[in-house]
Amino acid sequence: MLQLQSISLVHFRNYVQSDFSFEERVIALCGKNGVGKTNFLDAIYYLSFTKSYFSRPESQSVHHGLQGMRIEGDYLLNNKKINIRCIVRETNRKEFYFNADEYKRFSEHIGKIPCVMIAPDDVALITGNSEERRKFIDTILSQCNTNYLQWLIDYNKILQQRNSLLKAAAEHNLLDESLLETLDDQLSEKGELIFKERKEFLSHFIVSVKKQYQYIAQKNDHISIEYDSQFLTASMKELLQSNRQRDLYLQRTGCGIHKDDITFLMKGQSFKTLASQGQRKSLLFALKLAEFEVLKQQKHITPILLLDDVFEKLDAERMHHLLHKVCVEENGQVFITDTNRERLAESLKEIKVPFQLIEL
Amino acid sequence: MQLPSSLLENAVAEFSKLPGVGKKTALRLVLHLLKQDVNEVQHFGETISKMRRDIKFCQRCHNISDGDICSICSNSMRNQHAICVVENIRDVIAIESTQQFNGTYHILGGIISPLDGIGPDQLKIESLIHRIEKEVVEELIFALSPNIQGDTTIYYIQKKMSHLSCRITTIARGIAFGGELEYADEMTLARSLANRLPVQQYVK
Repeated sequence: MLQLQSISLVHFRNYVQSDFSFEERVIALCGKNGVGKTNFLDAIYYLSFTKSYFSRPESQSVHHGLQGMRIEGDYLLNNKKINIRCIVRETNRKEFYFNADEYKRFSEHIGKIPCVMIAPDDVALITGNSEERRKFIDTILSQCNTNYLQWLIDYNKILQQRNSLLKAAAEHNLLDESLLETLDDQLSEKGELIFKERKEFLSHFIVSVKKQYQYIAQKNDHISIEYDSQFLTASMKELLQSNRQRDLYLQRTGCGIHKDDITFLMKGQSFKTLASQGQRKSLLFALKLAEFEVLKQQKHITPILLLDDVFEKLDAERMHHLLHKVCVEENGQVFITDTNRERLAESLKEIKVPFQLIEL
Repeated sequence: MQLPSSLLENAVAEFSKLPGVGKKTALRLVLHLLKQDVNEVQHFGETISKMRRDIKFCQRCHNISDGDICSICSNSMRNQHAICVVENIRDVIAIESTQQFNGTYHILGGIISPLDGIGPDQLKIESLIHRIEKEVVEELIFALSPNIQGDTTIYYIQKKMSHLSCRITTIARGIAFGGELEYADEMTLARSLANRLPVQQYVK
């Protein structure tokens, strides 16, 4: 059981100096636009991932006009007290502490305090280009399989080398065929490993996403999700072979796992174009909740769930199912924000769960 | 930096071209030379230009040499049938100081990395293949950096000499000697476990 008991923010975004303590498992945050609801969730995310959820330079995490910042959280993990502290000094040097120990490498911390954030901008996962979806899957897989990240890093390095070779070949009008073959072999080896891992993972993950969607919407909306990869039909080596002329012409590698995607379909048509805002959001929740499930199984800790502005765009019924799912069926800690105090309180009372309301 | 003399400035600029030397260190070195006797500085400069002018590279293995063939290649006590392929001269010095290798070397002068503009033709790969064809080579030992470019180079050379029968090996990768197991990174440790050794061999 993982629970954040208190958090203290100094100079973080719009907070000059604030302390909060949490008694309940479900925490509702309300306040007007711009009071810092999202920043509040971001601070919690920060303590889990050693960086902000929103990609921005470190200096922008600091309160405007002030220097240095500090976020400190007290957690209870399986009845043991844990203190996580992040300090950004005036020089922009970042320090991260787990209890009294300072981390030498921030990456060691990631995964110790599992946490999933769902923000409105995440809709890009569905509407954006395939890169977003690969990143989403890669992030989950890297946390589950330590080899996976290394394969991916290696793959990208070899890919860069191959592309450089293609460019150089075009410039000098001379291609070293055996070098290209060597790189193809290396690329295929890593590519096949990554493909196998993704395919295996997605076969379970897609089922889980559909289940979550069904639960939130109480119907399936005829959604189908598919792993879209060139390697479903041919091996990477064959593809590189048959695409060689095209690659040489375009001076880059046109096939590989870096072209993988996940397609969302609704009634056989593109989900992106057909689905309503609410349906998009439902699918986003389904994806994130499936991630939540995977992390829970992998780490044996229920992650902290951060829900930003969830009430927007979802109908009352779907909202009810979603809240029931995350607050009642799951036993993890949940933070929910909304601008409307009454709506938030009503919705939580409806599912009969004790909650703590914090007005910012 | 404002300097009172353009001669001084030129000297500082030349020194700061050296690896690991910045403007300030360069100035310190130049001022030190300025305090020396004129003849001594003359000698200093001549030694360096003579070194660059007269040094030769071994025609067989491309090691640094005073003659056409380097001292390692011309040493009849060494096993001429084993070639250790390395990236640069520093690696030769490192392997020589282990006193464990009694064969000859072949210095590639780099590893294949199209990203850095280094292709096989910039390296001494052609002459290596030629050497294996001409000489009696029993074993080719690759002692290259354990990274992707190193692997690319090994695979490439292997492909190029597929018509030749010669044992190809590569140096072992694993836990560093005298290291603590718990501090080893996971990849190294995993690799050491995968390629573990029988104890009889290990004790030797």
